[in-house]
Amino acid sequence: MNIRISNFIVRTLSMGLLMAVVGAGCDIIDIKDRPDPDNVSLDVIMNNPSRDEVSILATGTESGMRVDLRLYYIDVGMVGREIYRFLSAEPRFTGDLLGKANSELDDGSFYATRPWAAFYATIRNTNILMESAATSTALTDTEKNGVNGFGKTIKAYELLMALNLMNENGIRINVTDIFEPGPLVNKEDGFNTIATLLDEAATDLDNAGSAFSFKLSEGFQNLDTPQTFREFNRALAARVAVYRGNYSEALNHLQESFLDVNAPLTQGAYHIYSTAANDRLNEVYADPNASAGDSWVVHPSFVADAESGDQRVADKTLERDQNATLDGLSSDYGLYVYKTQTSPISIIRNEELILIRAEARIQTDDLTGGEDDLNVIRNAAGLPDYGGPGTKEALIDEMLRQRRYSLFAEGHRWIDMRRYNRLDELPIDRPGDNVWLSFPIPETENVNR
Amino acid sequence: MRLISYHGLAVLILLLVGQPALAQFTVEGTVVDEATKDPLIGVTVQDEFSKRGTATDQNGHFTLKLPGTDAVLKVSYIGYINKEVNVNTSTNRLVITLKQDIANLGEVVVSGLATTVKRSNLANSVATVSANELTGVSPAQTLDASLYGKIPGADISANSGAPGGGISVKLRGVTTINGSSEPLYIVDGIYMNNDAIGNGSDAVTDASAGGSSSNQEDPVNRIADLNPDDIESIEVLKGASAAAIYGQRASSGVVIITTKKGSSGEPKFKISQSLGFTELRKKLGARTFTQETAAATFGSTGEELFLDAVNSGRGFLDYEDLMYGQKGTLSRTQLSTSFGNEQTSFYLSGSLQNDDGIIKTTGYEKQSLRANVDHRFSQKFDVSVSSNYIHSQSFRGLTNNDNTGSTFGVSMLATPNFIDLRPNEDGIYPNHPFNSSNQLQLRDLFSNGEEVNRVLSSIKANYNIFQTDNSVLAFKFTGGLDFFSQDNKLIFPRELQFEAASGAPGTLIETKTDNLNTNTSALLVHTYTATDKLSLVSQVGYTSFNNDQNSILTVANDLLGRQTNVDQSASVAVNQTKIFQRDRGFFVQEEVNYDDTYILTLGLRGDKSDRNGDVNKIYAYPKASFAWNVTNTDLIKSDDIDNLKLRVAYGQTGNVSNFGAKFTTLAPSNIGGLGGILIRNQRGVPGIKPERQIELEGGFDASIFNGFASLEFTVYHKKIKDMLLQREVEPSTGFIYENFNAGSMVNDGVEVGLNLLPVNTENFRWNAHINFWRNKSKVTSLPVAPFDVQGFSTSLGVYRIQEGQSATQIVGIDPIIVNNDNIGQFPDAAVGDTVIGNRRLGDGAPDFQISFSNEFRILKNFDLSFLLHWKKGGDVINLTELLSDLLGTSPDYDDTDLSVSPLRMATAGIEPGDNNATRRLKLVGVSTAKMVQDASYLRLREIGLYYHVPVSSMQRLFGNTISHIKIGASATNLLTFTPYKSYDPEVSNFGNQPIAQGIEVAPYPSSKQYYFHLSVDF
Repeated sequence: MNIRISNFIVRTLSMGLLMAVVGAGCDIIDIKDRPDPDNVSLDVIMNNPSRDEVSILATGTESGMRVDLRLYYIDVGMVGREIYRFLSAEPRFTGDLLGKANSELDDGSFYATRPWAAFYATIRNTNILMESAATSTALTDTEKNGVNGFGKTIKAYELLMALNLMNENGIRINVTDIFEPGPLVNKEDGFNTIATLLDEAATDLDNAGSAFSFKLSEGFQNLDTPQTFREFNRALAARVAVYRGNYSEALNHLQESFLDVNAPLTQGAYHIYSTAANDRLNEVYADPNASAGDSWVVHPSFVADAESGDQRVADKTLERDQNATLDGLSSDYGLYVYKTQTSPISIIRNEELILIRAEARIQTDDLTGGEDDLNVIRNAAGLPDYGGPGTKEALIDEMLRQRRYSLFAEGHRWIDMRRYNRLDELPIDRPGDNVWLSFPIPETENVNR
Repeated sequence: MRLISYHGLAVLILLLVGQPALAQFTVEGTVVDEATKDPLIGVTVQDEFSKRGTATDQNGHFTLKLPGTDAVLKVSYIGYINKEVNVNTSTNRLVITLKQDIANLGEVVVSGLATTVKRSNLANSVATVSANELTGVSPAQTLDASLYGKIPGADISANSGAPGGGISVKLRGVTTINGSSEPLYIVDGIYMNNDAIGNGSDAVTDASAGGSSSNQEDPVNRIADLNPDDIESIEVLKGASAAAIYGQRASSGVVIITTKKGSSGEPKFKISQSLGFTELRKKLGARTFTQETAAATFGSTGEELFLDAVNSGRGFLDYEDLMYGQKGTLSRTQLSTSFGNEQTSFYLSGSLQNDDGIIKTTGYEKQSLRANVDHRFSQKFDVSVSSNYIHSQSFRGLTNNDNTGSTFGVSMLATPNFIDLRPNEDGIYPNHPFNSSNQLQLRDLFSNGEEVNRVLSSIKANYNIFQTDNSVLAFKFTGGLDFFSQDNKLIFPRELQFEAASGAPGTLIETKTDNLNTNTSALLVHTYTATDKLSLVSQVGYTSFNNDQNSILTVANDLLGRQTNVDQSASVAVNQTKIFQRDRGFFVQEEVNYDDTYILTLGLRGDKSDRNGDVNKIYAYPKASFAWNVTNTDLIKSDDIDNLKLRVAYGQTGNVSNFGAKFTTLAPSNIGGLGGILIRNQRGVPGIKPERQIELEGGFDASIFNGFASLEFTVYHKKIKDMLLQREVEPSTGFIYENFNAGSMVNDGVEVGLNLLPVNTENFRWNAHINFWRNKSKVTSLPVAPFDVQGFSTSLGVYRIQEGQSATQIVGIDPIIVNNDNIGQFPDAAVGDTVIGNRRLGDGAPDFQISFSNEFRILKNFDLSFLLHWKKGGDVINLTELLSDLLGTSPDYDDTDLSVSPLRMATAGIEPGDNNATRRLKLVGVSTAKMVQDASYLRLREIGLYYHVPVSSMQRLFGNTISHIKIGASATNLLTFTPYKSYDPEVSNFGNQPIAQGIEVAPYPSSKQYYFHLSVDF
């Protein structure tokens, strides 16, 4: 054995090995710490973002408001006996949501967890937006006020959506910490927080100059400057005020909102949809004649209870070619509120504001003013002026009735009946069915274990 | 050795030329079976010193030219005890008898990254599967399917009956909750990718809309690509004690696959052809309707259609026959050749497989080409190259969970037998009156194709740096490469019922995935024979592993006519996913062998990975093992005991987190043409680290009564700590889940293998193998609230991780008594005031499994083999039954024989007269118990009968051109006995899952296969 040869060979082979290893992977020993190749890192965006980065956060927030909204409309629409969502593959819609037999709302099921999670994901995005904008050297303080006014308004709206579902079970309001959410608060404290947030946002918007640093979608047409967005903010504040029974406060807010009896009832803020990349489609749209096993149909009482000549029935429902039957439920009418999968969904619009004013006026004993507002709505639906008794009670009935038809399938009926303690007036379709008062706080919030 | 020049080129020439020729002599001989005296074909005969070798021909005959004047020939043959024979120039007409080795003691088993040890010295329980065991009885469609019942400790389960694979292999119980539970597959040194990549059908089925995000697209895990016929042997390192040297990739075990190699000598060819058919394994039947029940369930439309069926004379249709009734043809052709000389040998093979499914338009086909080349440059330097090209195509239909009523499975459940969904004379399909999709239309008009092109290549080089009489230092290098491109294309034409009804009719879903794995290992192995009794093997080495995967999913809606290009549409959505992994490892190992009696091994592996929070932190995984061959000492003096070995082994391995666990990121979310980003569901954990498995195993191997029986007995205890868990976080934080390291669990198991050779005579030989294995898992520490790993909701059954409980427990809702002495209890008989609470209702893991395989050789030329496989216990959540109840089509809908406990009956308001479906439906929201069903089975996995045409008749007919002809017939899954009520007790809606394997939602039904075989060697 010649040692020199073996040394030589060892050297040659070592070099060969080295090259082979280098060929197989650039870094032989050290590994690079690379970021997520697919998405934007939170750390990056939180640290002195550019104007563009703030802008895409704001747009993402608006976009995120639409996530799982379909489930919210199913929840509220079914418990409020406005619609049936028939899906043969999903028994829980016609079972749990209608309180069939002995079933309960399940705090682990998607109908409770997903809308809630989606609302709070948007809230997280508003927090990221506001916190990151605060560190940005690319924005002026005025522009930062605009970011805060937008962020807080959206945050308040999403909290309201969560509270609409959870009602007596309350919501979490302090969720800025990424790891530890604040305590669950009751309904009243929830409303307080939402109202306060909206007020703070209004103040921020007052000091936000004449234009936002970011763009809002066409869903906020005419509501996309700090001043006009504030009108949207005040509209939401009015809704919250009537939910809390603060009627005179509601009237004040309405004055600063975009309410206009001479404008189209459809004027307002919308979620818009498109087929463009990474955009969403209106998931509440469905072919009104879709087969029963996967259909959105109208609760029979909506058509049966309608005043004859009410155009809203013809506008929002379509008589099906074939009756739809599933799980002991049946309807002849398909849901036709949205005509295509890119039809916008209203966030709040003139029609509701007029109805809020009617409600607030009636409740503050301006019965004539209230009736006038109701007649605006009635006439728009092709109905003559209100001809019933002029008492407060009767007008409240009429107001709820007009809300039912004007805001059909937009998530109001259950909430309206609930705040007037009239859930027992909702129709029961099958013996043993229940009308729920509140949705359970999701299991994963760990409040019930 | 004399050196001519120091110049590198000369060294290279030297390496290539090898030893100069010296004196030579020729040995001739025959190798025969000791008991039957039959010649043994293909026995390897090799001179250990010169490395010259050959294989015996069809007469068991060999001729070998050897250098020098004497040599020691090593005679080895799978299934026989190796023999060493001294030969010299005067040896002639040698007859070597080999004895069948039922304990496989002479088999060589992996002990390190590039070292092996005789099974008789092995301190671990390592399962091996030979080529004959793998495919010799009855071929399975894919490699993973051919492992059933052959590896004690393995829990193998098919996810569906769809053609082309999709099989979960789990070794020794639950190895992780959230990491990968699939073993590491190493094929000739290549770390073969076994990912299961979905096809994107969720865009149509909306399966994840109900809140379950996991893959429900019935994907194939890619190990299915490997051609089982190319495999020489499989070694399975089941737990950390055996696999520790593979470090952080080995927690779920390692499956080491060696493909066939060429042998020197004249070219030998083998051609084999199998033809067969497949059919539905079991029919569920259909509900028998009356006018009343049709009206009650399907309304006035149902009544009309029922009357139409009766009055038109059409009668009732058998939809299982219409949909699942195809007798699909199966065909596979394998051609291989092996040849070479003393320096170079080749193994070349090509195979074609073409299988139809039991559903028309579904099927699987595969073409594979392999070239394995071994070249010996010199006594010191040899290189092996293996390369494999695979093309496969599968058409798997559309099954599993769905929220749009579009899939075959759900449509079938919505189909009462009185409706007619068949096309009319013009080929127009009627709309399904009760569902959004007509499954016959979908089957005939849509397409769900998956095409894979894959290249596997490896090179192994071995150089003896120096060699003395008692010491060898070798350098060993392995490089592996695995590249595949997977193309999934789903075409849903505009005219499909649900497409026509949608706002944007026609959908194309195209997923293109490129995956590249590369790995290297380089090590130095020093073998030192200190004395004639003591030998030491030391090794030190380095390994690297790289993975890059890029997947682009394109969904196009509103197709322009019949176009099938994604840009021929009105809207397109694109999603790109990239993942990567870089691992680096270092290891040392020392093996000490004293007189083949005491064998001690110590090793340490260090690993780092960019899957960890700290990418350059090295995590260490030690191992130690000890084997004691008692029969080599004077302690046992019984002639009845041939061999007894006691062994104990300890080892640790890791498991890195899934990709991206450490990232908190925002994903694109646009609106109305504006670009936006929205926080993603996952909260990243910057400090994520590998989970760690610590395993201790012990046992003994014994063979008795002169080879009559051998027994392998192993117990193990393994603990997994710092588990990689995924928990749902409070959604009010804006996130849904996060990964984290916490808690621990243990698995305890027993594996017993008994090999028997009860009869071994010239005309009748009976070999039997009985394996028994069981595993119990338990979550021992969980510092967070119990959480669900899979399932739709508690009321539909979930797999819940809970401290003190089995890791695979199934939890559902059930009435709990609150007002009597049995508060909190669930007595099946008592009735009291109840609340609906959560309760453990089953367990996904089997109690135990037993496999029983038998081989009979009768009258020398007939082989009869069969494999029985019994899985006892293990539950499945059967949601197919629930759907069929809801849709009014359950075969037992109107029966009244379903027993429900009085408490559940009372709580659910079930009346004694209620039919089965009503009972089950009333239980929804009250009790999950009836959905959790026992999925035990006893299955005749494989049975085959073969006839070997006798050598004498062949020589008469073909002269010496043909050396071997085998004809036979076989079947797989011929018989199954199970209490489970749906198509198959092996099922998984969510694909390969570490925990929640058994959840069923309208799957592709399983099938059985029948084959005829012919193989010819020449």
